[in-house]
Amino acid sequence: MGIDRKITARMQSRIGPPLLQPFYDIIKLWGKKPFITSQLQPVLAFGYLGFSLMAAAILVFRLDLLLLLFTVATADICLIAASFNSKSPYSHIGGMRELLSVLSYEPVMIMSIISIYFVTRSFLVGGISSLAYPLLLLLPGVFVAMEFVLIVEMKKSPFDISASMHAHQEIVRGVFTEFSGYTMAMVELGHWVKMMLILSIMAYFWAPNLLIGVGLALLLFFVSLVVDNVYPRLTWQRMLKTTWTFGFTLILANLAALFLLGGV
Amino acid sequence: MYGELIAATSVLLPSIMGLACLGLTGRAVRRAVITITAVSLIASSILLFYNGGFVYSPNYIFEISILVFDIGLAAYFLYVGLRIKNVLVIGLTLAQLLLVMYFEYATAGVRAEPVLVIDNLSIFMNLIVNIVGSMICVYALSYMDEHEEILQLTKSRQPRFFFFLLLFLGAMNGLIYSNNILWLAFFWEVTTLCCYELIRHDSTKDAEKNAAVALWMNLIGGVALAFSLFVGYYAIGSIALNELLIAGAAPVILLSFAFMALAAFTKSAQFPFHGWLLGAMVAPTPVSALLHSSTMVNAGVYLVLRIAPAIKDTHLTWAVALVGAFTFMLTAVLAISQRVSKRILAYSTIGNLGLIILCAGLNTPLAYSAALILLLFHAVSKGLLFMGAGVVENRLHSQNIESWEGLLGRFPLTAIIMIVGMISMFLPPFGMLLGKWAALEVIASSPPSIVFLMIIFMVIGSAATTLFWAKWLGHLISLPVREAKLKAEKLHAPYLLSLLSLLSLDLFISVGAAFFISNLVNPTVGGGYSVQIGAPLFSINTTIGSFPVLLFWLAVGIIFIAGFAIAKSKGGVVKPPYLGGENVEGNPLAFRTVADSETEFKVSIMSFDSIGEGRLNKYALVGGTLLLTLLFLVVIF
Amino acid sequence: MDITNKARVKSPWVLHFNCGSCNGCDIEILAALAPRFDVERFGIINIGNPKQADVLLVTGPANRRNFRVLKNLYDQMPEAKVVIVVGSCGSTGGVFHNCPNVLGGVDKVIPVDVYVPGCAARPEQIIDGFLLGLQKLAEKGKKKVEGR
Repeated sequence: MGIDRKITARMQSRIGPPLLQPFYDIIKLWGKKPFITSQLQPVLAFGYLGFSLMAAAILVFRLDLLLLLFTVATADICLIAASFNSKSPYSHIGGMRELLSVLSYEPVMIMSIISIYFVTRSFLVGGISSLAYPLLLLLPGVFVAMEFVLIVEMKKSPFDISASMHAHQEIVRGVFTEFSGYTMAMVELGHWVKMMLILSIMAYFWAPNLLIGVGLALLLFFVSLVVDNVYPRLTWQRMLKTTWTFGFTLILANLAALFLLGGV
Repeated sequence: MYGELIAATSVLLPSIMGLACLGLTGRAVRRAVITITAVSLIASSILLFYNGGFVYSPNYIFEISILVFDIGLAAYFLYVGLRIKNVLVIGLTLAQLLLVMYFEYATAGVRAEPVLVIDNLSIFMNLIVNIVGSMICVYALSYMDEHEEILQLTKSRQPRFFFFLLLFLGAMNGLIYSNNILWLAFFWEVTTLCCYELIRHDSTKDAEKNAAVALWMNLIGGVALAFSLFVGYYAIGSIALNELLIAGAAPVILLSFAFMALAAFTKSAQFPFHGWLLGAMVAPTPVSALLHSSTMVNAGVYLVLRIAPAIKDTHLTWAVALVGAFTFMLTAVLAISQRVSKRILAYSTIGNLGLIILCAGLNTPLAYSAALILLLFHAVSKGLLFMGAGVVENRLHSQNIESWEGLLGRFPLTAIIMIVGMISMFLPPFGMLLGKWAALEVIASSPPSIVFLMIIFMVIGSAATTLFWAKWLGHLISLPVREAKLKAEKLHAPYLLSLLSLLSLDLFISVGAAFFISNLVNPTVGGGYSVQIGAPLFSINTTIGSFPVLLFWLAVGIIFIAGFAIAKSKGGVVKPPYLGGENVEGNPLAFRTVADSETEFKVSIMSFDSIGEGRLNKYALVGGTLLLTLLFLVVIF
Repeated sequence: MDITNKARVKSPWVLHFNCGSCNGCDIEILAALAPRFDVERFGIINIGNPKQADVLLVTGPANRRNFRVLKNLYDQMPEAKVVIVVGSCGSTGGVFHNCPNVLGGVDKVIPVDVYVPGCAARPEQIIDGFLLGLQKLAEKGKKKVEGR
């Protein structure tokens, strides 16, 4: 969990924070005196956490994948609503950019889920497990497309236009600006849950042996860290164009190949 | 006998009450008349539901009077065309009139047996039209008072307004009962009439211009219906819709259906006929709510749903789906750059109708169910949204969403109603999302060539709708930092009644979605398809996925209760936003700038002009026309 | 030390404010963040947002133009917080002492917990001051828990 900061630091020839760092962050945040911008803000912040947890539950209980996507989208909307709720310039711009991030990854994820349906003939998570082959062998293009989704979701460069963890950026903390104390803790936790969620979906690409799946997910995780350290931040137009072009092309090519080769 | 009485009432009562409104000028009397009509219509639709389907052929005298009225209507349209010197109106009316008169002459007054068929689809539509429509009429009582006050009218024009409003409801009811295509065409034209008269109600130049556009575009639909009548009679020698629907899939019959589809597209403002609906937003808001979002445009969709079982597995059905898909995507993108509230709602309406037509075109049992689900929830949500938009517009004297900023702080009650309405359009667990979920499953389970074509349209459209709703929602929900609690503003009784009842209806049918799907949607689907949605009490199950509706609602409830509990227990000091340390004491919106002067910051939402109407509209027109030609080409070849 | 206090010490987020310094100390602070000295291993992040910061790191003297901003930022930071002043300018006014618009050290405006003198203070001294500040943070945290 704190791995991403540790690995990023090592790539930058630094030591980096201890692995348990995010836990310290969240506990510390919870213990601060609460400052809020409106009575609605903490509720919406908890909504972000709550819906992320619900999405995780949907995955754990092997329900409908599309439902999972829509729950994740709801969580994002809660966050965006919370950031728009505080009348603050940085928060507003951050919220708008976060909305654009959602616009970037949502179509790619829908297409990925439909591709999974193509192969498993079911939208339920259980369908993946009951498949004869690991998903990765049939849907490599989709797997790579999910990487784009992961980068946008993790808010790492080059797609971190809405908020950034470390460096000062042009919109302070963007979508997270007006959160503090326990609201920030909830948002951080929600963010982490969503990240784990996407990694878990990636792990399902090798459903027969989930250990290998986890390994694959961690591989892509590592790749996104490398990309993060190499690339600068891009504009929202670039983000949209890149995710959509690569995402759609990869997935459609994958599906076309399946159709022509296997006759799904 | 019982059912026939209800059917007759639902058509004749509004018409008679409308005429009464025309004559009565007293405000209190008018309110009484409208309220009585509203209650009766709602009651009649529920009674019809419990009565079940039946067929009915009214006395021959009605058929004669329909013909007479039809000619009278055409004469009136001719008069209008001459008055506004619009060649298209004159030409199209003449074409229609001549076609129908020739038809009557050539067939020596052929009759259809039965004249009226009330099946589950009719009952379904009936519920939507009457419940939502009546609520909007009640809403209009307050709205028109405020509207005329703002316009500073000395002599009230409300009698005329309510006449057409009620006449429209009666015509809609007649439309969804009609089995005789001539009757269908007649009621269709009456809705066109009401549409025209209501759009130009304010008699401004803009209103007249836009009403004329609406008129000729809808007349194209009327002519198309006349053609379908011709072709249908040529094919099977009958003008009964139910006979045409079971006559097979010979190209001639499909041609008739293609014409009907064309008519449906004009009525539902699909590309390239979307211009009239956007222009129609100059009308008073109840018109927009009733005609152009929840009821009249549903007539087009109703027709597509009617003919869908007959065009299953033909190329025509794919062409229809393509029109819907393209419209859905492009309207969603176009809505992003809009700044006028009613135009956003208009684009959203056209888009959702496109989605419904897409589902109807994909023509599987699940698709048909998805179309019905979308239809039901869209009507309620959109009606609610338009009504709320009207209230805000009257308060703010502006339709520009820039002035809607921070509405939650200024008009909390209306803002919350609008926010719930918006959320119900694109977020789970509301019904619209249920429909979208079903639509996605439908597209995925279509033949691969179709999937490749449709999927891009679908995902871009879906993502774009999220964008513009969330953008607008954020704008509403922006609250300046303050200590005081929000106080609900006062709303007039008709507003409160109509808004709150539609809001509760929306919530009710969304929470009870499983129940409504099994009792309303599935019986309707069962008419032409095998039922594919299982809806036990707690969730909606298709053969390929599952949506636990009630569980989701429970989870939403828990999340919000928990959120409120945490917020209460932790509390928090309200602090001004971060402005680089230059906050001004006492004013959370201001900061210090040049020479220590104080100025307030402004926040707004992105405008996206680069994907605005100017650039994209031509694609809409060209694409729409191409797809229409495709529609007819697939029938011929 | 209970878990919250331990977390506070382990995860101090910094708001770095330049109150009119010559930038010398700021460069040294950034150097402390850089790979060679790497204060991130202590969990320190340079968060540019007072609402999420625990430590206010100030350089430069307080002057008539920016004392308001300094106070504002300090008020916008939630408890528990410490203020660490880096450089002699922030401590007493340094070379700018007695200038017409200079009020003096930062402690003329807000309560300061740790002074790191030097012109410019070296990164090792800054880190040292930081750890001292973390001790004070722990003490404040304990006081808060005990409700004093």
